[in-house]
Amino acid sequence: MGRARDIRLAYLLLAPALLLLLTALAYPVGWEVWTSLTDLSPVNDHPTSFVGLDNYRRLSGDPAFWRAAANTVAYAALTSAVKLALGLGLALLLARPFRGRALVFLAIFLPWAYPASVSVIGWYWTLSPPIPTAYSVFMGNMKYAVDGALGGGAWAFVSVTLFNIWRGSSFIGIFLLAGINAVPPELFECAALESKSAWRRFWLVTVPLLKPFLALAVFLALTTAFADLANVWMLTAGRIVYPVLGTHAYWLAIHGGQFGPASALSLTLAPFLLAVLFVLFRMFDPPDQERA
Amino acid sequence: MSPRPWWRKLGHGSLLLVATVYCVFPIYFMLVQSLKTAQEDVFGNPLIVLNPTFENFEELFQQSGESHGYVGRALRRSYPVLDWLENTIIVFAGSVAVTLVVSLLAGYALGRLRPPGFRWWRRLIFASYVVPHTILFVPLYQVIVSLNLENNLLALLVVYPTLAVPFCVWIFSAYFQNLPRAVEESALVEGASRLTAFFRILLPMSKPVVVAAGIFALGTIASDFTLASILLLDAHNKTIPAGLATMEVALDELLAVAGINLMAIPVVLICAVFARGYVRGLTAAMVEGA
Repeated sequence: MGRARDIRLAYLLLAPALLLLLTALAYPVGWEVWTSLTDLSPVNDHPTSFVGLDNYRRLSGDPAFWRAAANTVAYAALTSAVKLALGLGLALLLARPFRGRALVFLAIFLPWAYPASVSVIGWYWTLSPPIPTAYSVFMGNMKYAVDGALGGGAWAFVSVTLFNIWRGSSFIGIFLLAGINAVPPELFECAALESKSAWRRFWLVTVPLLKPFLALAVFLALTTAFADLANVWMLTAGRIVYPVLGTHAYWLAIHGGQFGPASALSLTLAPFLLAVLFVLFRMFDPPDQERA
Repeated sequence: MSPRPWWRKLGHGSLLLVATVYCVFPIYFMLVQSLKTAQEDVFGNPLIVLNPTFENFEELFQQSGESHGYVGRALRRSYPVLDWLENTIIVFAGSVAVTLVVSLLAGYALGRLRPPGFRWWRRLIFASYVVPHTILFVPLYQVIVSLNLENNLLALLVVYPTLAVPFCVWIFSAYFQNLPRAVEESALVEGASRLTAFFRILLPMSKPVVVAAGIFALGTIASDFTLASILLLDAHNKTIPAGLATMEVALDELLAVAGINLMAIPVVLICAVFARGYVRGLTAAMVEGA
């Protein structure tokens, strides 16, 4: 068994995964980067020309961009924090055995297991009922109250945010439960003898033990924060008036035909996510236990 | 330790109640609506159903292309739901299978064979999650066209796995990396090939991780709606989520909610059956290494 042969085999086995990701991502991402440097548009009557960093320069001077960016950061940070807090709470609820634990566990698993592609449709039409149903008056009043206080479209945005939190907290709760299960119970018992304060125990024992799980959960929460929003945007053809970077880019590209600025816009978030990811990698990379 | 005082128990119990209601209520609500008659939907109590009926589900499967009555003056069409159901099963089963095979191979390569820089390979694959999906479907559609997969279910079998593969590769490779070398060493010393050792020893051991990866893949794939609507244009060629989005919800609200449940119930049942395995697999992958 030569090491060289093993390495060749490794690359061979790695190939299908890389091929799949390259097919679905490499060209599209390349296209997006290239397009962000041009003025590509289906409504142009002149050939597409290379404009360098013009799209980015124009964005940085556009107040609409900064508003969308601020919304995006606030939305992502807020939903991720809430999902994490709720998820941690749900996981801790399930941490100790009690009667009926299996049932509560299943209940907490449900929001994530219930396919979001269809639940988002149901969620949206439930909160904004299109026809006279028994609950449409109640929901209508909620909508007018929220829209009246925060501006038109706010209720739709709030409802998507709630959906994202509802589903995300379920995923994170179950994910963190997997982390808690890995901790030997004696460790918690020792900690209970050491310190009377549950709050201190939580920060000194539970959080450090769950660190890799928490780090992975944070990242997934950040990246999935926008998926549901995109779903609803597609579904309702632009009823959301609160622009975040994603919906703003979609609007520019599909309704405005300005693919250049739209590409630039949707790429602006990637470097930040990448930076976050590299900080988090340190926490959830499996440690080297033995040498290869 | 002394038994917990009654007020602690009460607190714990009510927290459990709140958590359960919080998680289940929206699902309960959608289930209840789907069992209602139009009469009850408009005039009944929204929280309960007094005369449950399956007529919305039956109506879903009516012959496609035929009209089925009016709301006011608007004609209600029926939809090829049976086709959608079949497509959904093919696409979901196929995508989960592709995801698992591809991720197992890559996970084994990175966690067990450890080529130079295997950590960076793994990080690179995982980093594909930062790619913004906003308008990515425009070039993605070009790729699908150039592969001749327009309006073809196979297109989703290429695209869907990419949503789950990075996470699955991560947990498989972490699991295999944490497993002690000794596990398959003796078999290899006795002359078994890597292939035999993988199928006889490693794969059976990693069953919980396979379950975890499979459930994650199913949950992720079942949450997509955008890609399916964009890549499958023909009315007969849609999956259930993409198809439901073409419905006139204003006219067919009860039908749509029945469609939602039609897809959700099987997925939820599969997830529920494997729920414990899912948690065990995640634990095994992230920390134990068995």
